[in-house]
Amino acid sequence: MFDHINRRGVAIATVMAASLLSTTAMAADWPTAPLHVFVGFPAGSSPDTIARLVANPLSKALGQPVIVENKPGAGGVIAIQQMLAGGADDYSFGININGPLTTAPRLISDLGYDPATDIAPIGLIATSPLVLAVGSDFPADTLSEFVDLGKADPGAISYGSVGEGSGAHLTAELFADAAGIELFHIPFQSYAEVTTSILAKDIDSGFMAPSAALPQVQAGAMKMLGITSLQPFPQVPDVPVMAGQAGLPDDFRAELWNAFIAPAGTDPEIITRLNAELNTILARPETQEKLLSIGWEAHAGTPEELADRIVQDTAMWGAVIDKTASNN
Amino acid sequence: MTTLDGLAHGLTVALAPSVLVYSLLGALLGTLVGVLPGIGAMAAITLLLPITYYISPEAALAMLAAVYYGAQYGGSVASILLRLPGTPQSAVTTLDGYPLAQQGRAGVALFTAMISSFAGSMLGIVILIALAGWLAQLATRFGAAEYAVMMIMGLVAASTIGSGKIAKSLSMVVAGVILGCVGTDVNSGVQRFTFGQVELLDGVNLVALAMGLFGLAEVIGNIRKAEVQGPPAGVALRQLIPTRDDVRRLFAPISRGTLLGGFFGALPGTGSTISSFLSYALERRVSRTPERFGNGAIEGIAGPESANNSASITAFVPTLTLGIPGDPIMALMLGALVIHGIQPGPMMLEANPDMFWGLVVSFGIGNLFLLLLNLPLIGIWVSMLRIPFRWLYPAIIIFVCLGVYSVRGSTFDIIMVAGIGVIGYALAVASFSPALLLLGFVLGPLIETNLRRALLISRGDAMTFLERPIACGFVIVTVLLLLFPLIKKLRSLQTR
Repeated sequence: MFDHINRRGVAIATVMAASLLSTTAMAADWPTAPLHVFVGFPAGSSPDTIARLVANPLSKALGQPVIVENKPGAGGVIAIQQMLAGGADDYSFGININGPLTTAPRLISDLGYDPATDIAPIGLIATSPLVLAVGSDFPADTLSEFVDLGKADPGAISYGSVGEGSGAHLTAELFADAAGIELFHIPFQSYAEVTTSILAKDIDSGFMAPSAALPQVQAGAMKMLGITSLQPFPQVPDVPVMAGQAGLPDDFRAELWNAFIAPAGTDPEIITRLNAELNTILARPETQEKLLSIGWEAHAGTPEELADRIVQDTAMWGAVIDKTASNN
Repeated sequence: MTTLDGLAHGLTVALAPSVLVYSLLGALLGTLVGVLPGIGAMAAITLLLPITYYISPEAALAMLAAVYYGAQYGGSVASILLRLPGTPQSAVTTLDGYPLAQQGRAGVALFTAMISSFAGSMLGIVILIALAGWLAQLATRFGAAEYAVMMIMGLVAASTIGSGKIAKSLSMVVAGVILGCVGTDVNSGVQRFTFGQVELLDGVNLVALAMGLFGLAEVIGNIRKAEVQGPPAGVALRQLIPTRDDVRRLFAPISRGTLLGGFFGALPGTGSTISSFLSYALERRVSRTPERFGNGAIEGIAGPESANNSASITAFVPTLTLGIPGDPIMALMLGALVIHGIQPGPMMLEANPDMFWGLVVSFGIGNLFLLLLNLPLIGIWVSMLRIPFRWLYPAIIIFVCLGVYSVRGSTFDIIMVAGIGVIGYALAVASFSPALLLLGFVLGPLIETNLRRALLISRGDAMTFLERPIACGFVIVTVLLLLFPLIKKLRSLQTR
């Protein structure tokens, strides 16, 4: 495996050198062929929908087809590997979630890439906070009451997540640590299962996407106690932000995100061009509306901002993983 | 709105030209993708999803639903004719369908599958209308403890379906359970038996396993035969028509299969698979001539086919009444609704009665169309058997590769299906039952996950399985199933 990485490293270096020599010539008439965007989740999933919301207008702007390649598996990791497999050819890109770029190196052995050195960020696309949801007859109506209950009986409140190391799991542990309480983790495979189990009173709570909780809340079967973004989320404007409440720090934030990326060594001018096109697309009201309808908020930014976000989140989630690993 | 009002209203929705056309189109496409081994409803629905942006939500859902249940019809064709199941449900159909085809009665097997699918779906619609509310309640009462013991019951009940020695059957179930352990453990996040292969993190690809064990194994097994024998003789029209005896045998298995499918289908997740296997096991147990099973008993097709079609209808119960999708395909359909601004959830029925009743009526129309479409096609399907082996087998291999690749675009899976095919051939030579391996593979991980989850929830108290009434019921049935052979033996000793 290491051998493999080294060979890939050499290949990338070679392509980098070649691209440095021919940058101006290449960027002038780029693109001359279709672009391939590797997506880590199956068609119809929210990362796929987000990728298509970007790919279609991008194709119009560039005058070349932008082909969405669904390579689902291992929480998005397979798509990153596939994107990197051909080296930096200026035509392979990726739209992926935060996991493979932040927590994957900690959770998967033999990952085959290093987000810090093998990935060139293009820009953030959209973010989604999580809400803390409980059953309608759970004896807490606010976040403070929830934390008080948690303090009164450590480990008594159970929560469901969509798997060990998933965003929902790590967010819950981050929250529990910040609030100074202990929660009991029950892993599931999907939000549908977590929701059913809350309705069946098998478990007490769960951190989930606002769109997963909202219909049950409207039907009076669940309550939302707080949200992990710094600002109220447009899809559920009434849910109070967690930051600054119930003893949580003012900058408490835990968001899932989707980002546009390229293999390291991709022509910097191409990265700049794609970042500009992406931000134009994200500035359009119709893109923002469509993103919001599936529970995501458009979030434009520079490649550097995305790079910072990757570094920050890697550190933040890494600390949570260390903590949960030492508890077990 | 009363049921009759609802149906009348649904009829006006479902007969609106756009909805009608799209649901027929969906049914046609469902049959086609179902026939192509391994390329299931999932692939077709993901391809159709972009089209749904441009049509009304009723038409969109009617079309996607028709693909879903239409694929169940088509799935039996490749299973019966070529022993090429793409799903565990159709693997059950191969057990008796393929022997019938080998005996030159492929037409009868296909006819049985079609008529049972139709009857199962239609009765499933009746169950859906009459019991939707009750079934939805039931689904929310099923926690991890109930699922765990229900699946253990399913595994115990169905473990007897293989013909031959019990030790052979059990070894296949266990092999399946072990194979099911491959991948990331849900409870701990630990990677098991992945050998550093990222492709194995999500486990062994089910389609690759099914097609390797059955289809490819069959191709390998026939290589030598093909040179010697040449293609089988043509099939006369007379042989398509089932005998009076055949028809008489169908009524009871269809009724039992429909009820099983209707019940298990409404539980999110596993309904279709577990009800097919249970129905097969049940038919074999109640039969006066259980030795015919595995050698071309049409009850062995009728029961499971009606069960999985009935399950594919009642699977819409949690999806439509709670907004909770039971499987990834249902999740895609809900996704199509979200794009139209309809929020799936418990309020959907009240907010959009058009959607619910229109869909229910479109199920009926779609299934009637599927029957009328598929019956005349039987002759064409059967004539496929006249294709010389030297053309047919390479074509099968190509379709197997396409089907496996379509699941997640992975070339790793194609290499895997080749390896599994060789193993499948070895198992066939030693007359082990691959269907049981598939059963263990599907149920094993579900049992493990739910058992451990139930014990986590109860904080380690195993009494949870006896204290919860539904779980306790399943435990009792399981114990009875295990004791049944013993009691039978004791009785026969007494009478002697």
